[in-house]
Amino acid sequence: MTNGHPIRAEEFELFALGVFPSEESASILAHIDACPECARKLAEARGRVALLALAAPEQSPPGVVKQRLLEKVRAEKSGDAAPVRIRETRLPVRWWNTIWAPAALALAVATVFLWISDRRLDNQLQHIQQVTQTYQAQTEHAQALVNVLAAQDTMTVKLNATPAMPKAWGYVKYNPRMGMMCYSADLPEPPPDKVYQMWAVPVTGNPVSAGVFMPAAAHNGQMPVAKVPTGMDCKWFCVTVEPKGGKSAPTGPKVLVGTL
Amino acid sequence: MSRAQGAEPRSDSDWSLLERIVQKDELALAALYDRYSGLVFAEATRILRDSGAAEEVLQDLFHQVWRTAEKFDPARGSLPGWLLVAARNRSISRLRRRSSRDDEELTENSVVLPCNLETAAAQNQLLGRVKTILSRMPDGQREAIELAYFEGMTHSEIAEHLSTPLGTVKTRIRSAVEILKQALA
Repeated sequence: MTNGHPIRAEEFELFALGVFPSEESASILAHIDACPECARKLAEARGRVALLALAAPEQSPPGVVKQRLLEKVRAEKSGDAAPVRIRETRLPVRWWNTIWAPAALALAVATVFLWISDRRLDNQLQHIQQVTQTYQAQTEHAQALVNVLAAQDTMTVKLNATPAMPKAWGYVKYNPRMGMMCYSADLPEPPPDKVYQMWAVPVTGNPVSAGVFMPAAAHNGQMPVAKVPTGMDCKWFCVTVEPKGGKSAPTGPKVLVGTL
Repeated sequence: MSRAQGAEPRSDSDWSLLERIVQKDELALAALYDRYSGLVFAEATRILRDSGAAEEVLQDLFHQVWRTAEKFDPARGSLPGWLLVAARNRSISRLRRRSSRDDEELTENSVVLPCNLETAAAQNQLLGRVKTILSRMPDGQREAIELAYFEGMTHSEIAEHLSTPLGTVKTRIRSAVEILKQALA
């Protein structure tokens, strides 16, 4: 390498000859692409090396090669003229465009109309699916409520007010065999960003959440129903005030407490 | 025997023929073919040792000139130089069953010849000079450079082919190239 060029002046002919390994040639070519000086030297070297072709034994090509070449280029030239003929023969066909153009327009309008109808039906279908899911959830809730309330071994636990909310009251229907409970409570609206959360408290172990609720829902017949672990030795129930979304363990003040 | 068939008046340079070829003048293509087809065909036949394959290379090259003549820039090199280099590349690719770029454009591989080959007399004179240069080389040196040019072998391949040390082959080829360079200066 000299002065930043990967090839010495006396090596350009060798490079043009192709005697360097391919990986070396690739890096030299990459440089030459970006170096006008080396590109010029290579062009001159190629010219000197190309004259080695004159060392080949003299041969004249058969006349048929020239003939084939000229026939080929003539055929291509006549091929170039073909589009003109095609245009001429196509002229009568344009008459049909007077039919196809309105038909294509009508088809496009029909396509847009069908697309809009399809979108509308799709929206209706989605709405029906949502309503169905709501009804299904309400049915399952009502069925669970009936099961708990109708079972003979379901126990009722009265929830008593605490000094934090003296006028509150409520009750819990609890069935340990089914691991289900439902409850109702007369409570004022909780502070903003707060909810009530029901807890089932075993003799040993941590309280288990039985869900969060708002007083309005507990009043209008939408009694909350919750599933708790079956066989849980549940002894107490309580309601606390918690941040929206509830907590995994009681943190807020107790507003209702009941003992089994 | 003259390699250039010499049917074209001397007033038509390669450049003027190319200009006419751009205008799709078949006679200009025929004239250019007559001028250089002997050189190209002899080179391709020497490399391929198959006159049928050499005919295909010859026809393809001139057909490419016909199709892409407008891309040739005479400022960047000479047409016969490009023809000789392209014929060699394509023939060696065929010989070695390598994929070749038959769409090689006239703008690639700029080649500047140190002399004019437009006339049959110039070609014959140069042909004699090159043969003389090679004949004066030692056998090993001539053999090495011919393997490089006509067989497309690298230094290593020539060394293996001749069962000669790599360094010796490099020295022989370097010396041969230097001789050629000085003789053609």
